[in-house]
Amino acid sequence: MSAKISGFRQYSVLPGFGPAMGFTLTYLSAIVLVPLAALFLRAAGLDWTAFWGTVSSPRVLASLRLSFGASLAAALVNALFGFLVAWVLVRYPFPGRKFVDALVDLPFALPTAVAGIALTAIYAPNGWIGRLLDPYGIKVAFTPTGIFVALVFIGLPFVVRTVQPILEDLDAELEEAAASLGASRWITFWRVLLPALWPALLTGFALAFARGIGEYGSVIFIAGNMPMKSEIVPLLIITKLEQYDYAGAASIAVLMLVLAFTLMLVINILQARLQGRHLGK
Amino acid sequence: MHSGKSLASSTASNDPRRAVISEPPLVRYALLAVALGFLGLFLVMPLAAVFTEALSKGFRAYFGAMAHVDALAAIRLTLMTAAIAVPLNLVFGIAAAWAIAKFEFRGKDLLVTLIDVPFSVSPVISGLIFVLLFGLQGWLGPWLDDHDIRIIFAVPGIVLATIFITFPFVARELIPLMQAQGTEEEEAAVVMGASFWRTLWNVTLPNAKWGLVYGLILCNARAMGEFGAVSVVSGHVRGLTNTMPLHVEILYNEYDFVGAFAIASLLALLALVTLAAKSFVEWRARAAIREAIAMAEAEGGVA
Amino acid sequence: MSIEVRNIHKHFGKFHALQDVNLHVQTGELVALLGPSGSGKTTLLRIIAGLEVADSGTVLFHGEDATDRHVRERQVGFVFQHYALFRHMTVFENVAFGLRVRKGKAKPLEGYIRARVSELLDLVQLGWLADRYPSQLSGGQRQRVALARALAVEPRVLLLDEPFGALDAKVRKELRRWLRRLQDDLRITSVFVTHDQEEALEVADRVVVMNEGKIEQVGAPDDVYDRPASRFVYNFLGDVNLFHGRVHQGQAQLGGLEVEVPEHNGTLDTAAVAFVRPHDVDVARYRSGGPTIEATVRHVKALGPRVRLYLERTEEGAEIEAELSRERFEELALAEGEKVYVSLRKLRVFVEDSLSAA
Repeated sequence: MSAKISGFRQYSVLPGFGPAMGFTLTYLSAIVLVPLAALFLRAAGLDWTAFWGTVSSPRVLASLRLSFGASLAAALVNALFGFLVAWVLVRYPFPGRKFVDALVDLPFALPTAVAGIALTAIYAPNGWIGRLLDPYGIKVAFTPTGIFVALVFIGLPFVVRTVQPILEDLDAELEEAAASLGASRWITFWRVLLPALWPALLTGFALAFARGIGEYGSVIFIAGNMPMKSEIVPLLIITKLEQYDYAGAASIAVLMLVLAFTLMLVINILQARLQGRHLGK
Repeated sequence: MHSGKSLASSTASNDPRRAVISEPPLVRYALLAVALGFLGLFLVMPLAAVFTEALSKGFRAYFGAMAHVDALAAIRLTLMTAAIAVPLNLVFGIAAAWAIAKFEFRGKDLLVTLIDVPFSVSPVISGLIFVLLFGLQGWLGPWLDDHDIRIIFAVPGIVLATIFITFPFVARELIPLMQAQGTEEEEAAVVMGASFWRTLWNVTLPNAKWGLVYGLILCNARAMGEFGAVSVVSGHVRGLTNTMPLHVEILYNEYDFVGAFAIASLLALLALVTLAAKSFVEWRARAAIREAIAMAEAEGGVA
Repeated sequence: MSIEVRNIHKHFGKFHALQDVNLHVQTGELVALLGPSGSGKTTLLRIIAGLEVADSGTVLFHGEDATDRHVRERQVGFVFQHYALFRHMTVFENVAFGLRVRKGKAKPLEGYIRARVSELLDLVQLGWLADRYPSQLSGGQRQRVALARALAVEPRVLLLDEPFGALDAKVRKELRRWLRRLQDDLRITSVFVTHDQEEALEVADRVVVMNEGKIEQVGAPDDVYDRPASRFVYNFLGDVNLFHGRVHQGQAQLGGLEVEVPEHNGTLDTAAVAFVRPHDVDVARYRSGGPTIEATVRHVKALGPRVRLYLERTEEGAEIEAELSRERFEELALAEGEKVYVSLRKLRVFVEDSLSAA
């Protein structure tokens, strides 16, 4: 697209590029770039031992394990059920499908704090579901399991909404071709449909995973927030801030950003591999 | 990412030919049951819980909780924050979409990526960056303190964090849509002598209106509902720096469950209205796309 | 392996896509289903394949009822209009797919699969592309891969849906000749769908002309072209001139032109339409012995070795198209605006009841 641009921009008869671009860059810098730079500068100002001392403390490591572990588990569950929901929404007409389709976006639209207290109410020992599990000694609210439940709620739409459009656009001829070549439904699913959907599924999984790591509002109510046990990374940042340990907060934040960024990078590379294979590159 | 499927790519197809290549009915019903059961458990039940808990002590307690001074102050602050953040991000969205969708320039992909950055930053970090910038120990903190300007633990901080969080919504809906619509109509308008504002107002924006509305709906929902980022910068002063989601937290932590869920039910209603509006806009936009396709086909048929 | 289709009906909602269709395809034959879009030709092909289920009627393979057999078990090779190649598999794996998905004892050994796929890729002249992905191939190459993939399962019947529809004109011509040769070698019973009359007439052993869910005519290419059974077939296959008139006891009155139509001896004063191909219209400068129509040359258009004349009838102003060889045109030395006498070498008259039937 940009290959044939000789100068900074290609000639156009349309007016307004200068002001529009100027405003865009100014606003972007003021709201996003400068504040983010402040974080990185703050972290860069730390000496290495202090940074390392903060992020390698047992409490931080425990919260990292918890945040990444719970997010991974929730994203995996979402990959499975989100795929199933997308499949059902696209392929099986049923009464109320439009309504259910709209409802899938609820986690995007519902403020996280509301989701948090609602899930806590349900899974607390006296809640609708907590009450059923309590006699068996299963505790969900105020344990890492609760965090997992909240992250499943938050991450679901990512998988559904990335897989759904690809599934809709999938040519029926592909499945017909597989059937005419003698493939069973199951084999067609594994060898024809799933490979076509992998990239979208992976994207949805990655988005849900990344969102889970950073999620705060829906988790803190149900988490219990016990240091070393059920304390997520974002909460730890807030704790540091409340102790006026700005350097510590910045260290953890930078580490989190770097880890999340690396994760997305790895997944993007994986994705490029998957798609590149189709293109034979 | 956070806005679900984008408008530019939403045309559902219902292929009647699927009969031969579908699963056995029993498998279909089983999968349908599992999927709906999952959605019931994870989506419907929390929603139901909000309203049940809010009304658990009757309507009097419910409306009483909502009419509380602090609750009203929180509602006012939330509305005000959205009233500042949404228009600003709207103007930004239009400017960015105009520059990106209608012109070719170097570094466009990078710019598009940067616009999406706030979506991939944890809400807590989104709040933290403003504390690091404007807080007492922040870069500008001492100077602000000298001049008696408060940003952190005050309303400006809440507004700033909200703007950051909702920054990409309008732009990311408008850019693909306006790109897809190309530049021919604008060029025609300019050739006929229309000014920049006239072209934007009479040609570009009417074409992109559903994308615009869609972005606004999502932007507004997030602006009113944001919790993490705002929580970091607010300072939680009742009646002063408490937005609705923060007020929910305070009431909940004080075991005033009816109060917390009453405010939460308002936010849940907002979410439901958002979903309904979103579905309506998607439906309208799809109809518009269908019309455009039908028109293109009709023109092709004549030629 | 013969195919027989009996009394097939198919509705899509209220649309009657196929209405009591009967067809017999002989073993080793290459048959074209020809018709405009919406004529039901693709639906019929898909019903034969088992990709679509008919509302009623039966499909017999080699005299054996296959109506309720799933497409998986019908052993048909189906080539899709847009090829439907698996994007994430190489050319080799695409062709091998049908062999790899076999289960239990039917599952061939890897060595056999390799040999068979290579053989097929050589057959479609694409052996050198085995490791490529479909996105790296041209349209014509993809089409041939699709064909090789369909042939890999040793189908008893080969079905092709608009096999050349998505290709440009030149590749299309090459490929259809190639398909004809392949069919001559393999002798596998084949049915293909097309809306291109030239394609059908050139490639097929027999042509099935379809319209509005019904079969209008079945016959050898020459047969359907020279002796169209209905007004529709006449119109659909090639250009045609229409003359409106009446028929009475074997005599047709076509606006000043009187013609003997012995096949309508029993008809009494009925409205009729006569069809004449442009190349069956002869043009002369002077009135000759037989029945002629007076006309004016309005427009002359040379198309390679043929010359097309657009004539206007003096009497009623209707247009007649005539096609002459270049030699004949040069002999006549006609210019636009000149008066000529038109005679009809061959015409076909349809009286009213057969009109309404068509």
